[in-house]
Amino acid sequence: MPDKTDFYDRLNIGTGASEEAIKKAYRLAVRKTHPDVNRNEGATQLFLDIQEAYKILSDPNRKGAYDDGRGSHETPPAVHTAIEFSQDTLIRLDEPQIVYSMIDIVSTLAEKDTTDLPLNISFVLDNSTSMNGARMDILKSATKAIIQELDEDDIISVISFNDRAEVLLSSQSHPPIAHVESSINSLFAEGGTEIFQGLEAAFEEIRKNSPFDYVNHIILITDGHTYGDEENCITLARSAAKLDIGISGLGIGIEWNDEFIDKLCALTGGQCMFIQELNQVKDFLKHSITSLKEAYSRHVSLEIIPAPGVNLLSAFRILPEALPLPHQEEFSLGILKKDKPHRILFEFLINPVPEEIDQAIIASGEFILKRKPRDYTIPFTLNRPIVAELEEPQPPPEEIFRAISHLTFYRLQEKAQKDIASGNPGTAFQRLINLSSHLMAKGEESLAKIAMHEADYIKSHNNFSPTGKKQLKYGTIRLMLPDKT
Amino acid sequence: MITCKVCNNQEFHGVFFCGECGSQLVLTDDKNVDTFIYPSQVRGLELDISNTIPKKLLENKTFILYCLDQEEMINIPDQVEFTIGRFVDGQVITPDVDLNLYEAFDKGVSRLHATIRINPEKNKIHVIDLGSANGSSVNGYEIPANSEVPLNHGDVLTLGKFRMKVILPKELK
Repeated sequence: MPDKTDFYDRLNIGTGASEEAIKKAYRLAVRKTHPDVNRNEGATQLFLDIQEAYKILSDPNRKGAYDDGRGSHETPPAVHTAIEFSQDTLIRLDEPQIVYSMIDIVSTLAEKDTTDLPLNISFVLDNSTSMNGARMDILKSATKAIIQELDEDDIISVISFNDRAEVLLSSQSHPPIAHVESSINSLFAEGGTEIFQGLEAAFEEIRKNSPFDYVNHIILITDGHTYGDEENCITLARSAAKLDIGISGLGIGIEWNDEFIDKLCALTGGQCMFIQELNQVKDFLKHSITSLKEAYSRHVSLEIIPAPGVNLLSAFRILPEALPLPHQEEFSLGILKKDKPHRILFEFLINPVPEEIDQAIIASGEFILKRKPRDYTIPFTLNRPIVAELEEPQPPPEEIFRAISHLTFYRLQEKAQKDIASGNPGTAFQRLINLSSHLMAKGEESLAKIAMHEADYIKSHNNFSPTGKKQLKYGTIRLMLPDKT
Repeated sequence: MITCKVCNNQEFHGVFFCGECGSQLVLTDDKNVDTFIYPSQVRGLELDISNTIPKKLLENKTFILYCLDQEEMINIPDQVEFTIGRFVDGQVITPDVDLNLYEAFDKGVSRLHATIRINPEKNKIHVIDLGSANGSSVNGYEIPANSEVPLNHGDVLTLGKFRMKVILPKELK
């Protein structure tokens, strides 16, 4: 009896089989085991096993990883997961109810325990007309400085874009300093802002030179609105997420489209930042690189499938950087850092559960962790006991309560934006007054003042001030980090 | 569904905060009482008191109650805990602060209405409603009797219908 945990055995081939031979063996195996043909007990499982084996062995990258790990004594990845719920026990109700669940995944290795993964990184710099002057100068010097800080085996490329993209530095490791200097110095500001041009070029550069188990990342710096190519960018971000390429964005000033850049970052597990002071460009780049350098796994993604009768209403990434996640069931979370958790807050709507059932199944899911030698799957299920009534009221767990309280602040400013968009400045005004007093009660004085100021601004202008809108949004997002420093 | 006491918005069971106004919908542990949020329906962090309270007083006091209807400062004793109410002839236990001096006759203030407790070390101030007939509220939101509720700078504390503003001079610019 062949070992059915081994992918080669499942397809009944040797480890030296060529791509063609694997394909042939797969077709043969499928024909024998397809549930339409083979009605024996266990045939379906056999069929699924074969699918799984072929999926890995037909992909040269994943096959390589599988081969590396196969045979040698494998150690499981040093990660663990933790799950917390807004309620320990659910109460049986004849109406829908809400449950929040906070899921952590953390690598148990300390920073010093493993070597750093090398980076495959592309800097995408906006050189449209609006960048002219100090912005351009600072951008140039900050990029040059950060490239010098990269390690020898890191792969670097630099792209500039306005209406068109230009590859200033093509993908390479350890580029000569003089070459970096001269190519970045050649940059000057002119033309419009078409982010897709820049992203696409960066995507190509990253892919051109994409060794196994590198941390792939695109860093986009822009100060403007892109017009008409948002959809293309989103599609590109989705493809990037599939190839373990993350996108982080930095918006300078007040003109850039924060919702759009947020979305790009959220789709790929990157982070989005907003700065008003130019001297922060360097800090942002440094922060991004340092944090990418802390990777334990080059990519981690999370898939979550709500149980029947349960709807996933929203997902919010709290750690490592707070960001609302797109409405979907598969999330690309970017790198997993050493010793620093990813934390996602999910909001579920649970429909009434039949009386004979005393356990509410909320969802099942898995983390997919990518790290040499292969991909690891860490499955989990979310369920809670359900009772007719509680003997004692349960106080909500502190951490999750705190996260939801801060999420409420974010939602209030988001709703105020919607109020404005739907022509209700009066409602927006009242909401910001409420937000301000809640923030005050939490001791967040400066943000409370910004909210109050915006309320006043809305009263006289029927709209947000461009700066205040972004300050409030990123300010309330920042609150969500447990450690705000 | 649960109904938000502040704005009457309906939320599903299990929700912690009202999605419309942000008010907290569930009670947390006593130790968490500081996280209790009271929406301020009265603005006025910018309340102009410069004409009515002498500057010198502002510098010396850690805590001021300001009567909103009479527009004057309420005289409070220099102690860490004191009661507020209305003095009535023949009363056995008298309140430390008599609101009759600020025209509280028909404002529904009880004889012993509330206690204010100041914790100078932690720099925190709490109000406790002593089971008054007409109740108390902070920023328009009714507070439970006999439990400590934190007061912050700018809050409006209402005993019956008598409105006072909480001012912490330290917080003033």
